[in-house]
Amino acid sequence: MGLFSRNKTPKNDWAAMSTVVKVEEKLQALGEITPARRAGVIYRNDDENQFQNKIKIQLNNVLYDGPGATKTSFEITDDDRGMRWIILEDGNFNDLVSSVFTVGNAIGMNDGAGNLLAAVFELYFTGEVEDNTYRSGLRTYWIYRYDRKAFYPFVPTGDKEGERDRPTEARLGQDLRKHGLIIEKSLTEWMGLWGIPF
Amino acid sequence: MTSTTTRKFHKDKGLVSRMYFTMFMLGFLYAMFAFFLMAAGMQLIFVGGIVGVMVIVQYYMSDRLILMSTGAKEVSPEEEPALYKMIKLLADRYEMPMPKVAIIDTSIPNAFATGRNPKNALVAVTTGIQRRLNERELQAVIGHELAHVANRDMRVLAIANFLVTLTSFLMTMLFWNMLFGGMGGRRGNNGGGLMVVYLVTIIVYFIGQLLVLALTRYREYGADHTGSEISGDPGGLADALEKISGTVNTIPDKDLRKLQTANAFLIIPAALKGEGSMNLFSTHPPLEERVKRLRELEQRMRYGLR
Repeated sequence: MGLFSRNKTPKNDWAAMSTVVKVEEKLQALGEITPARRAGVIYRNDDENQFQNKIKIQLNNVLYDGPGATKTSFEITDDDRGMRWIILEDGNFNDLVSSVFTVGNAIGMNDGAGNLLAAVFELYFTGEVEDNTYRSGLRTYWIYRYDRKAFYPFVPTGDKEGERDRPTEARLGQDLRKHGLIIEKSLTEWMGLWGIPF
Repeated sequence: MTSTTTRKFHKDKGLVSRMYFTMFMLGFLYAMFAFFLMAAGMQLIFVGGIVGVMVIVQYYMSDRLILMSTGAKEVSPEEEPALYKMIKLLADRYEMPMPKVAIIDTSIPNAFATGRNPKNALVAVTTGIQRRLNERELQAVIGHELAHVANRDMRVLAIANFLVTLTSFLMTMLFWNMLFGGMGGRRGNNGGGLMVVYLVTIIVYFIGQLLVLALTRYREYGADHTGSEISGDPGGLADALEKISGTVNTIPDKDLRKLQTANAFLIIPAALKGEGSMNLFSTHPPLEERVKRLRELEQRMRYGLR
């Protein structure tokens, strides 16, 4: 934190996405949140793409082969809006984040950068936070948008498009930014994802 | 008392000089206008007298007028102990007597202070703002409002408003005068002369209005500054402003997947839109500017730089 430091825009996905690891660690240590075991990467599937049409084999390679592989388990599902989800599961949040990054990175490196939409993490509030702003058990999604290289919180209140808890999201966005998460500055870009399949 | 109190605070020199310049311009405009009216043969004392009485009534009764017009209810320390404690603490820091405290029962988040001097001050908050803000944010907001009282902004604005009120009064009078040719026309002004007076009045009115607006903005920044020095927490005010400004409602209804599908047909991807377009069409530039200044002040205060 320099004297005149501004929120610099990170140059790559890892610089931005990795901030979630530190923030989660900090908040979990405070007894405020706990992460779900699952996270997802959503992208627009392109069958013409050599990598994407063999996605299962490719992901097996990147997640299981080689030293330091996280061996995070994954499944592939298509939603009713024509998008494909890679749903990853890992009890270790650190590994989960690196696997999410790895999956997105692999798709991006193989001519799919334009297809990548978002990475989605799910976290729960476990304690009473500050002045009871967040109730215990509150489920939040932290959406990372690849085109913006930034996160924003998403707290749906229903499955229908538009059903979300805006005041809580705005507050959470501010709090998470204070803790060091790279947050999308423009609220108009905080688009929701209703019906997350995990 | 307050003039010496405020002197203790660090002042934003650029802001102060701009403020004085605006006040000077306003005074200059006022004098020019008076000169013009007298040259045109109007009974300035008559017109000025009526407006003066109106402004003085408004000035001296501002707290009661506001209580009446907003439905604010004055509350006792027993009814609102926490709020009283918070305001007392801040008033002590301003070396100001404890102001009257009022509550407005509405979900709209707002707060204001009024009173011609610190002895006659009133601070009002809505139940909406009490619910929405946490203690730190509410304290910063009340600090800002008390700064208006400490800086005697009511007096400054009352003087500034005098000209605008006067000209709008004249505008109406002249309009009816031209229409029916009665009232002040007994000196035998011809229609053309009146037309010129009317046009000049309109011009003075608009320039005066702009200057008052500029002055209001400067006083607003000034109160942000003084209030932050008193509360020691510019960030609290910035948080509160963001929270109550309604920017929350700019969080969209739209699903992210729609954006991507739409983008497939667009040449400019979402990544290239962003901040620039936000600034261009933003509806609240003054608020953003205030928050920006407060965040910068927060940085400076944190590192002890002035």
